[in-house]
Amino acid sequence: MKDIDKWNEAVDPDNLSDDENMILDAMGLNGSSRRKFLKQVSAASLSIYASSFFTSELFANTMKDLPEKTTALLNEIKVNIKVNDMVKPLTLDSRTSLLDALRERLGLTGTKKGCDHGQCGACTVIIDGKRNLSCLTLAATCEGKEITTVEGLAKNGEMHPMQQAFLKHDGFQCGYCTPGQICSSVALLEEAKNGEVSYVTEDLKKVQSGLSLSEEEIRERMSGNICRCGAYNNIVQAFKEVHTGNDEMPTWEFATQEQMDKAKNA
Amino acid sequence: MRPFTYTRANNKEQALQAFTATSHYLGGGTNLVDLMKEDVERPDQLIDVNNLDYKKITSNDKGGLTLGAMLSNSETANNKEVRTNYPLLSMAMLSAATAQIRNMASNGGNLLQRTRCPYFFEVSMPCNKRDPGSGCGALNGMNALHAIFGYSDSCIATNPSDMCVALAAIGATVEVQQADGTSRMIEFTDFHRLPGDRPEKDTTLSQGELITAIHLPKAEFSDHYYYLKIRERSSYAFALISVAAGLQVESGVINKAGLAMGGVAHVPWKLTKAEEFLAGKKPTTENFEAAAELEMKDAKPFEANKWKVDMGKNAIVRALTQAFEREV
Amino acid sequence: MTKSINTSGVGSAINRVEGHLKVMGKAKYASEFPIENKVYGQGINSTIAKGEIVSIDTSEAEKLEGVLKVITYKNAEKLKTLEGVRPEIATDTIAPVLQSNKVHYFGQYVGLVVAETFEQAQYAASLVKFEYKKDPSAVIDFEKSRSKAYTPDNDSNYSRGNMDQGLAEADMVVEQTYNTPIEHHHPMELHAVIASWDNGKVTAYASQQIIEDAKIAISGTFQIPKKDVRVISPFVGGGFGSKLNLDRHVIMAVMASKMVDRPVQVTVTRTQMFTNTNMRQQNEQKMRVGAKKDGILTALSHETLSHTSTTQEFQEPCGMVSKMLYNVANNEVTYKLIPMNMQTPFAMRAPGEATGSFALESAMDEMAWKLKMDPIEFRIKNDTQTDLHEERPFSSRLLVECLRIGAEKFGWKDRKPEPRTNKKGNWLIGYGVSAASRNSPYQKTHSKVILELDEDKVFATIQMDATDIGTGSYTIIAQTASEYLKIPVEQVNVELGDSDFPITPGSGGSWGAASFCNGARAACENAIKTLKNNRNIAQDEEVAVSELLKKNQLTKFEAEGMAEPSAEFEKYSVFSFGANFSEVWVDKDTGMYRIKRMVNVASAGKILNPKTAYGQIIGGLTMGVGMVLAEQTRVEPNFGNFITRSFADYHVPVNLDLANIDVIFLPEEDKIANKMGIKGIGELGITSVAASVSNAIFNATGKRMRDLPITPEKLIEAGLEEGVTA
Repeated sequence: MKDIDKWNEAVDPDNLSDDENMILDAMGLNGSSRRKFLKQVSAASLSIYASSFFTSELFANTMKDLPEKTTALLNEIKVNIKVNDMVKPLTLDSRTSLLDALRERLGLTGTKKGCDHGQCGACTVIIDGKRNLSCLTLAATCEGKEITTVEGLAKNGEMHPMQQAFLKHDGFQCGYCTPGQICSSVALLEEAKNGEVSYVTEDLKKVQSGLSLSEEEIRERMSGNICRCGAYNNIVQAFKEVHTGNDEMPTWEFATQEQMDKAKNA
Repeated sequence: MRPFTYTRANNKEQALQAFTATSHYLGGGTNLVDLMKEDVERPDQLIDVNNLDYKKITSNDKGGLTLGAMLSNSETANNKEVRTNYPLLSMAMLSAATAQIRNMASNGGNLLQRTRCPYFFEVSMPCNKRDPGSGCGALNGMNALHAIFGYSDSCIATNPSDMCVALAAIGATVEVQQADGTSRMIEFTDFHRLPGDRPEKDTTLSQGELITAIHLPKAEFSDHYYYLKIRERSSYAFALISVAAGLQVESGVINKAGLAMGGVAHVPWKLTKAEEFLAGKKPTTENFEAAAELEMKDAKPFEANKWKVDMGKNAIVRALTQAFEREV
Repeated sequence: MTKSINTSGVGSAINRVEGHLKVMGKAKYASEFPIENKVYGQGINSTIAKGEIVSIDTSEAEKLEGVLKVITYKNAEKLKTLEGVRPEIATDTIAPVLQSNKVHYFGQYVGLVVAETFEQAQYAASLVKFEYKKDPSAVIDFEKSRSKAYTPDNDSNYSRGNMDQGLAEADMVVEQTYNTPIEHHHPMELHAVIASWDNGKVTAYASQQIIEDAKIAISGTFQIPKKDVRVISPFVGGGFGSKLNLDRHVIMAVMASKMVDRPVQVTVTRTQMFTNTNMRQQNEQKMRVGAKKDGILTALSHETLSHTSTTQEFQEPCGMVSKMLYNVANNEVTYKLIPMNMQTPFAMRAPGEATGSFALESAMDEMAWKLKMDPIEFRIKNDTQTDLHEERPFSSRLLVECLRIGAEKFGWKDRKPEPRTNKKGNWLIGYGVSAASRNSPYQKTHSKVILELDEDKVFATIQMDATDIGTGSYTIIAQTASEYLKIPVEQVNVELGDSDFPITPGSGGSWGAASFCNGARAACENAIKTLKNNRNIAQDEEVAVSELLKKNQLTKFEAEGMAEPSAEFEKYSVFSFGANFSEVWVDKDTGMYRIKRMVNVASAGKILNPKTAYGQIIGGLTMGVGMVLAEQTRVEPNFGNFITRSFADYHVPVNLDLANIDVIFLPEEDKIANKMGIKGIGELGITSVAASVSNAIFNATGKRMRDLPITPEKLIEAGLEEGVTA
């Protein structure tokens, strides 16, 4: 199959995108180690996993190379999609959801399709500062709107603090709901700052801006993002750490030998 | 999804003019787009009314607030005037769906939410609401989540909205723009309709009418309010049963009660008898129980949803209790 | 940015090595590979439960712009079909589709539309008209079809001692039936594939748990050589058993690609995830437990009535727990299956244990209540270090430690044994406990290591066809290589999910961690052994791997390795053990309840990475909470379809349903299990959670809830106002 070839191209270590450099930085690979590692990646030329790390094509700056139009579009509409500070003019089928426009037309597959019916939150993106579901948003309605997807959260070569916290607290397993969880969390930080209320808020009349959210509040407000792997507790910890600025401690421990002996001989 | 043309309206004239018998106005799309994906809704034109200037909250001449139809549920529930004067409405709206959906969903659209009956959603099954004349699959099928009040042989579905339950308790008025350019007012209790033999019609809106505003009366329940929502999981689920309860209490006596129930009928079920019973009475458990009994004795459950009668009674008493006991 | 330089080997709580990709949205799942020229396939499902397709009208669909093909049984390629009466379903079973006009269940694939755009494919699929002849003999009602039950012919029925005698000896008998509904896995990633047929060679980017078996199933279904099939699945967005075997959408995509000569993407819809990607079947489990006054068990029987499809057989081993968990001389386990017009059920997370433990651990709680014994002491009293079913010792069994250490952490001593005595306002508060066990298999695994020297640093790449379905495979394999090569973990690159890599058993059945890591270990050990042998260096001499490469004058070296269970392993029964504790608050008016906190103690051998292991445990607990709280798929009695057909009807737990969870790992290495001392942990977490919650609900309310899920309406029906009804 011809399409596989693009996955096998050698990676040019002198010509990496910001994103690629960022990932390598995060892995602690610098200087000659980085050079070596990249050489090894191209050597392992059949590795899809490795190329998914490093093949430039996957990263956002390729948006400009994507076709503006495809075949078999009904009721064509033209929309300038402004996503992650880039504008892409697209001709779309009027039926196309923002989710499908992102994934199938713009190569931005970070936003996930989990149900396509507004029942899981995996497709959450931030539109004009608010978290929305891209699966129930028709792309046709997005003219003039500013869209941020998970790919657009990192700035200046640094992951968003929420992304770092999710990594540190293992706020995911399979990773499929993760972009939605992170977009949702980032938007929630703002909602708390703005003093927005929730169903579990004790007194709706007394709320001020700059809310410090309780665990119950965080859980309620993050309930629109389903994680079937069940990483909720780690997600809460990740959010809390960014929200409060205080380190969150793990809730696992190993039994001590003393506990073991006591239990055995009880 | 069936093909449709997309028309963006920049003012109400454009919207009204573009409307045809097979058009739908597009608000937040959280219900409509979902139903189009399911092939339940089949418009051949969507008229995007999101740019229309119905996004304000203003004072009205009744001493209450007027909510723009195109304002999002989030903005409405979080509005300071709304949450301090109509916290019952805020609470009900916040119990619904998720932050993402509330950010998208419009006030006007919320009034037009369609039922969650699975027979309505599955196009291979009969449903008079979706496909008039095809029969009601739920009547002799699985109806544990269906209506116990006001249903007909044609349809036993329930209305899924939380916001509408609070609006029924508060007593709102809906303003709509008619095709001829004039507007009319609809009392909230007249807005939704019981299924009768026309279950395909959820509301009393005429073809092409556009909701522009929801008028709230002078605030009466800002101190004693509670929206109780019973559901299968603690969030992001439609109500099994919900109760909106507002009380105005003066010198230990109930001046006025606003009560409505969700999950029990084709419309937000206003509990008029209980409201009337409670007026002038003391806010005691005995009176709350009597009020609940008065309403629930008329319930006509199916074998599979008998539990709704007991749960409904508990829910009314509990919502009233929580409303009364709330610290002012 | 945080430079999380991972320098630790096995046992360290390092961040996931692939985590950056996931939090940045860069990890590529099956439908996300930018394959040029790809088109979209949309499956069409039957709308009857049994019968025949009488006619098909594809004309309207075919004339739509952009529609390339409508495939039905009339023009589908002939495939290998299933043989025999209800052959057993396995992870490498062929998946023939669109082969005849026969319909065996509601939702069966009856067609596929291929179009240039996703929108047109979906629309066209709705326009293909099928006319059916309904067969009224469809078996869709479990209750009404009991007489059709048969005993599966797979030696799963079992007995030891004499059940009647055991019951006769008992002072107390508990005889109760526990029901669990059909449940669905619902990983967040919809099952998906991009398949290409190119001159007889198949490439499939497919979301699969077991790469080798997916390859076998494709080659078997199309009757083409295995070498001509390549399956790629570097990231899997959750599986829980639903992606163990190859489902029919993959076969349809391959077939379509051959017909339209373009790569074809098929994404299963969430509604199709109910009908076309496996399920856990409904189980009715009748338990009979006999015990002496002092708490000694005298008899235990576990009868399961369940269902399979009319075309294939699957039996969930619900009774497995009852055969091995307690010291009871008289024991009986039986199974019966009703062939029903539904898709074939298959393994869902902890098949057997998850459901069986609900029945057993609820019955044990009922017996403890009858005996007026503490439920923990009752279990400890009946502990055994020998698997009475296998007639072998356990390789290690620390269940008593799990229970006692957990009780202390949880504050079990504060529990009020009498139900309905712990109240706060409208809340009735209860504590519950349950014991957990999960078989811990270990399977033959191949792996390859590629070492490369750069100045003084050695970079290693481990390759195998293993998958990471969220379980942490990438991370623990990297840690293993780091440990055995004695190099920092950031110098290890792990490449998984490609059928061009060495064969592993894939992810499933809790065997992944032990198998993959021992496989990686074997490759690393082989590399070092060979490098030493080549230069006549004693095997026990400590030499850095960089030095070894230098001494061999190599800058690059590859080695393969294989690990498999030892003869010693076969002499033991190898299980992971655990204990679950829950505090539940039930609202007496609404029937809603909140799980306020949970404690889980896990004895699962060597913990390779406590961070990812914790994820496995809380993930299992969360799914267990789903079982008890709300998860159920219901069958429409007149049409035979699943009336719960979306995420709005089938409620999985949300964030607010969970609460604080403390997990305690026991410090254990089970060297009998395997050289690295690893046991399974992926399914231990879900086991018996439902029982610990329902036992807590009994303690809170005095109502014994024997049908899952325990919903507000069931609690209201049970009557929460007063009384204890054991």
